[in-house]
Amino acid sequence: MRIGSPKESYIADEALFRTRTQWVWLWLLLAVLIAYPFVANLYWLFLVCLISINIISATGLNILTGYTGQVSLGQAAFMGVGAYTVAWLDNNTGSPFFINLLAGAGMATLVGLIAGLPSLRVKGLYLAIATIGASFILQFIFINWESVTRGTRGINIEPPSVLGVTLDNPDTFYWLVMPIMVVMVLLAANLFRTRIGRAFIAIRDRDISASVLGINLPFYKLMSFGIASFYAGIAGGLYAYFFGAINPESFPLLMSIFFLAAIIVGGMGTILGSILGAIFMTLTPEILRYGVDILSPYIDNAPQILSPLRTAVFGALIVGFLLFEPHGLAEIWRRVRRFFHLWPFRT
Amino acid sequence: MLVSKLARQLMAPVAAIALALGGAFPTAWADNDEIVLGGSIPMTGPFAFAGLQFDRGLRDYVEWINRQGGIEGRTLRYVGEDTGYQQDQSVAVFRRITSRENVNFYFGDSTAFQQTINRELDRRDILMTGASFASELNDPERYPLQFLLGPDYSEQVGILLSYIAEESPGARVAFIHSDTEFGRDPIAPGRSKAEELGLTVAATIVTPPGAADISSAALELRRARPDYAIFHGYVLAPIPDFIQRARQMGMNTRFMGTYYTMDQGIINEMGEAADGFMGVMPYRYYYDETGPAPIMDAIRELHGDYQTTTYTQGWLTGVLITEIARETLRAGKPFTGSNLRETLDSLSDIDTGGIFGQPVNFRGNSIPLGRIYRADVSQGQMVPVSDWIELE
Amino acid sequence: MDWLFFFEITLAGLGTGGLYALTAIAFVLIYKATRVINLAIGEMLMVGAYLFFGAAVGWALPWWLAIILALLGGGALGMVLERGVIRPLLGENPISVFMVTIGLGSILIGMVELIWTANPRSLPNFFPTDPIFIGEAFLAPKTFWSFVVAAVVIAVFLLLFRFWRGGVALRATASDQGAAYSMGINVPAVYSLAWGLAGVIAAGAGILLGSIGGISSDMGLFGLTVLVVVIVGGLDSVLGALLAGLLIGWMESMAGVYLGGEYEHLVTFILLMVVLLFRPWGLFGTREIERL
Repeated sequence: MRIGSPKESYIADEALFRTRTQWVWLWLLLAVLIAYPFVANLYWLFLVCLISINIISATGLNILTGYTGQVSLGQAAFMGVGAYTVAWLDNNTGSPFFINLLAGAGMATLVGLIAGLPSLRVKGLYLAIATIGASFILQFIFINWESVTRGTRGINIEPPSVLGVTLDNPDTFYWLVMPIMVVMVLLAANLFRTRIGRAFIAIRDRDISASVLGINLPFYKLMSFGIASFYAGIAGGLYAYFFGAINPESFPLLMSIFFLAAIIVGGMGTILGSILGAIFMTLTPEILRYGVDILSPYIDNAPQILSPLRTAVFGALIVGFLLFEPHGLAEIWRRVRRFFHLWPFRT
Repeated sequence: MLVSKLARQLMAPVAAIALALGGAFPTAWADNDEIVLGGSIPMTGPFAFAGLQFDRGLRDYVEWINRQGGIEGRTLRYVGEDTGYQQDQSVAVFRRITSRENVNFYFGDSTAFQQTINRELDRRDILMTGASFASELNDPERYPLQFLLGPDYSEQVGILLSYIAEESPGARVAFIHSDTEFGRDPIAPGRSKAEELGLTVAATIVTPPGAADISSAALELRRARPDYAIFHGYVLAPIPDFIQRARQMGMNTRFMGTYYTMDQGIINEMGEAADGFMGVMPYRYYYDETGPAPIMDAIRELHGDYQTTTYTQGWLTGVLITEIARETLRAGKPFTGSNLRETLDSLSDIDTGGIFGQPVNFRGNSIPLGRIYRADVSQGQMVPVSDWIELE
Repeated sequence: MDWLFFFEITLAGLGTGGLYALTAIAFVLIYKATRVINLAIGEMLMVGAYLFFGAAVGWALPWWLAIILALLGGGALGMVLERGVIRPLLGENPISVFMVTIGLGSILIGMVELIWTANPRSLPNFFPTDPIFIGEAFLAPKTFWSFVVAAVVIAVFLLLFRFWRGGVALRATASDQGAAYSMGINVPAVYSLAWGLAGVIAAGAGILLGSIGGISSDMGLFGLTVLVVVIVGGLDSVLGALLAGLLIGWMESMAGVYLGGEYEHLVTFILLMVVLLFRPWGLFGTREIERL
């Protein structure tokens, strides 16, 4: 049982990681992340790379939806903007990959800001609907701006290389995507120790009172939208490098819903939620696959139920978490932690 | 109380982690006497109608060839998993199978997947084929370790056009295609090919993906008054609707389709309206018993009822990789990517056991050979109306 | 300019527009009664079409009986969704309710694919097939008859809203929930009624749509265009839904023919963006949206 965590200064109160136990766990986690590629096979490395990309995008969406209270169904399309920017630069300028990534993120931010303009006029769900519109319009551009996107044929991207090492396989790509993911997550966590992040939270909790407090609503809302798109752009750029080829069908509306589902399941308004949600939602199809394998002796045509089951479970997770566990996995995690903190006493 | 509640809440993540760890260690490598064919197979989702048949066809072929003694004494093994026709799932399945097995050949389920995975093939010495007939993949420079199981979509349209040019020179042709990667593929080359053959392109009509209502597109078609209309990028809908409306409007346009529309399904689903529908088909239909076809006989022996052309496509995959593997083994060469490609290029006049009507040759990555069939509803069959047409 | 052709395209567009208008009414009904933006409306429509398919082809029932069963099934689905999922969330953050409807859409698609697989199907034809000519202009019989049916159904519902007790209760609830409660209106029952009726309408629209172009598990995408229709018309305006439905149907046809099929959805979504920027409450909606 742990008794209290007294703080003696504001700096201590604001620290991201407050106790020694947290630091110990953090170093352990870091050690696991470093050791992982040496024990896992390529398939599990592939999954972890994919999870990392999804964590980045989900974290961005969580800043917008979970912390600022604006819903976006355009996260995948903004990832597409980042991915296509990276692909174009890769094919036409040969600039180094980190410049491409940043340019992709910058472009996604710009497009996101334009798409976010309706949020200046109205509040609530209209922004969500505007982002659906933006997704379709971007999709159209991906398909029809052939000179840049190669249209429906798709576009190939050369793998990035760092210090002469080509990162063209999950075991090497891991060393690119994992640090970026960690940095992006830490940046997001730190954001909410600043004026900007707190303004976002104030807007989410009650926009009118936020306005009274002197927060410039349109400015901060757009900024939140821009930051979410920036994260999407980075994730999209990494996606392009990771898969090596993208086409307009790589970033469907369903993928935006996937990210929304990830933050709902993980927990809106917590950084941990984005991480847990992205992990959980990426692994769900895999878990279902094992589940169906186990069931296959008992039902006919078991493989054929997998994909519909995935779709249904996907929806059921969204509905179920919103109804019964609106704070998501992060809340469950907190409960578990509290249980151990208070042990042997009960809440 | 609390503990049991907690246990319940913990169950799911713990199970997931257990599964994750279980999978984190590679299982034993396949022994060397096997030839492994992996597959990302769309057994569910919108392409399931074909995927399930690929799966059955591949399974049946593998069983059959192993009964014949395998390939040069080695057994062929097939490992396929469902992808739901989603690109990320296809890649995940590829990663999973290749991390467990020493895969030599692979069956891909879509153009996007086959493009994405291309750069992995050389590293893993895998030769790939699959469900896609995209013109994009028919480029040995960019896709050296892939081949197509017939003519690419542009070549399919090319075969149709050369048939039209022969039957009625100078005819007016319309293209009707969906606004998808699949639908757009052969349109630009098709238009220039048509002009080359002296045909007039009367209209190019695009339907949005998933469009249910094609009223205005049908009116556009009527205004263009083509002699022939070629559908591409659809499986079934909205073809029946177009044909029905064209009849109602008193048009006598002849409608044609490409490989994936040309299965028996079009007769079964459309009924009367299918009569006279034509299209290109590279493989022999199950009931086509003209000429010697040992492989088709084997299929007929195995199954007394109609087998789809996508099922035959599974067999063809097996026949071609058997041929490539056998020649590579006979030359005593290891199964490296470049060796497999070399063997593929060296093969000529390949005998496909009658799946194709004549010995086939690869041009680039494809086999530009096909035949025009017409739906005859009274017989309930597709009947050939041309000889086998090979494009130069 | 070929005016006859233009006229034919217009008729075809209005035909599609009739279906948009019909589905949009279902959407507005739900919004007015429960203030829920129901993104699953397209999937409810799809389920209706599949229920008809199941009854007419699976059980080989006569088509009229199959239609009745499908409509009842659609209504029951609407009520179950309202009672089971929407009502517990009413009064919560509208964003949660919105996201729940996205999840519901996904569940419905999964269920339909589990039962009927993802293969596209065609519905048995129950419309007369003689071509219709208006003057010189050709109109496909399916388009014509589905428009007629949609128009009749819409008219019936408008009359119901006006004169039937339940319709009046619905309107009362929509305009002031508290007042409706105090006048003895059973508001929760009105919620169920609204969702049930919307389910019936959506199922009907699904059967019409499916009989024109066949059914598939992704036909729920139709719902996204309907979403645009109601935003353009004004979320709480029945008249707006009707007019915007026809307008968007016509616009899509025009764009499809004169610009090319790939532009059909583009014009719709550009219109959406323009309306959101300049007139977010829609053409006929109540201007009650909080401005910032």
